[in-house]
Amino acid sequence: MNMENTAVSKYTISFGLSLALNSVANALLVVVKEKSHTVTAAMQKITGHQWVTHVAIILILFAVFGWWFARINNGQGPKIAVNRLITTIAAGIVAGGLIITGFYLFAD
Amino acid sequence: MNEILLMFHVLFGVACIITAVWLFVDVLHASEANLNRIRGLSWAAAIFMWLAFLIGGYWYVTFYPADKAIILKGPWPFAHSFFMETKEHLVIMLLLLASYLPVAAANNLAANKEARRLVLGALAVIALLGLMIEGHGAVIAMGVKVALLAGQH
Repeated sequence: MNMENTAVSKYTISFGLSLALNSVANALLVVVKEKSHTVTAAMQKITGHQWVTHVAIILILFAVFGWWFARINNGQGPKIAVNRLITTIAAGIVAGGLIITGFYLFAD
Repeated sequence: MNEILLMFHVLFGVACIITAVWLFVDVLHASEANLNRIRGLSWAAAIFMWLAFLIGGYWYVTFYPADKAIILKGPWPFAHSFFMETKEHLVIMLLLLASYLPVAAANNLAANKEARRLVLGALAVIALLGLMIEGHGAVIAMGVKVALLAGQH
């Protein structure tokens, strides 16, 4: 008989999804700010340094989406299998890494 | 003073990588006996990463512009245009992953194979991405060195 437990906490799933989402958002923000001087200037103005603003935006989004995902389904969080969560996180991180590396290697 | 700061940045980054590798082995052998240590070490890895990030971030904003100017005039401008540019953004993903670690490790890893796989995956990425970012740091430091050496001739 298999006694293994396969459930994980709702925050493991919600912050895992937020991690995947924000890995891609982080990369897209790199592309947007590098391509638009207006965006870079606005980010510079907010905290005094565009990179500090960039970090603040991603950390805030990570926290907000993590808490928000945990509240859907009447507070039970998203219902997805852990295997699916692992694939989603891996896809988000690989996509984010490739966008950043590819951008500075080829497009910048 | 800024060199001392930079050394602490590297020190905490290496501490995060070593903790991740230690945790990887501990999670592979997760049992009721080592669950508390796993959870404590997960917090330690996250705290080491945050310290490395905050110190590095302060150094980057305050002192790096001078190094950047030296690098861009030297023979290795890519040390900034590729290695620093990718490092300063890839490290944000590493920070998110390290912050996520204590959340994932709070599950009962001794009884939950799926949760173990999730944490092992996160730890593997933290260790590998951390090593890559340490390597980027080495290239950036070398970019300054070769520029200064080139200026002497």
